[in-house]
Amino acid sequence: MNPVARIALIVAYAVLALAALGRSSYQIATKLSEAPVPYLVSGVSAVLYLVIAIALWRHWAGVALVGTAIELAGVLTVGTLGYVEASWWPDETVWTGYGSAYGWVPLLLPAIALALLLRERRARANDAGPAPAQEGTS
Amino acid sequence: MELYTGVIHPLVLVVSALLALAGIATLVWAPAHRALRVLVPVTYVIVAAHTVTVAFLLFTGTDVDLILTLGYVIASVALLALLGIGRLGTPEAAAADPDPHRPVLTAVQVTRVDAAAAVIVAVALAVVAWRVLVILQGAA
Repeated sequence: MNPVARIALIVAYAVLALAALGRSSYQIATKLSEAPVPYLVSGVSAVLYLVIAIALWRHWAGVALVGTAIELAGVLTVGTLGYVEASWWPDETVWTGYGSAYGWVPLLLPAIALALLLRERRARANDAGPAPAQEGTS
Repeated sequence: MELYTGVIHPLVLVVSALLALAGIATLVWAPAHRALRVLVPVTYVIVAAHTVTVAFLLFTGTDVDLILTLGYVIASVALLALLGIGRLGTPEAAAADPDPHRPVLTAVQVTRVDAAAAVIVAVALAVVAWRVLVILQGAA
């Protein structure tokens, strides 16, 4: 992955982690009983953002790939459930409305990160070349 | 309160806008990095002024949620660490780190990283300042 894109992603994930950690820790600490599902989802998203930022920094491609895939699935699931089953969500999460409260960054960011990570993975597989054919099996 | 709504908050927004513009300009035209480097200490000063003003308002009896407001203020200060993050990718910085995966950036890449970080931080700073304003105006 282009190092500029990689560091830009790390910065974006660090900012989102900061925002989500602040928001969720406040909500969980002060009013968890009011809306446990949304606040715990926000907490999970905060941890996920932090893990992805660290994985991108440490070059843990597998962790980053799985993390962004879970994140994208989470945004799409929570965003859709917010419209389909509004009663389940007495308050907003980071992923509500597909991340509309955060300028849809929570939706765009995993899509961009996934595309870049998958491209990098393909490039690495191409560089490794095809596996040599095995000879003389038993 | 008038000082905050009339001077400090607009200043934060202006500096955020300038930071974002300088970031975008640097992404397009690398020599604009010089303007960005000038704006970074200006941003430090404005965020410090913002922090001091909000702290003053909080401790002089403005009736707001202390934890929430302080959380936003601390977040605005934490964001400053990301400004000029391109310096971590210079060959000298990378040489001092045993991590083999640490990116080593060329001079142009350092400017691009700084620019991208400046745009992200500018947007985040403006949002944080707006949230603090909403909280303080709610108490007024």
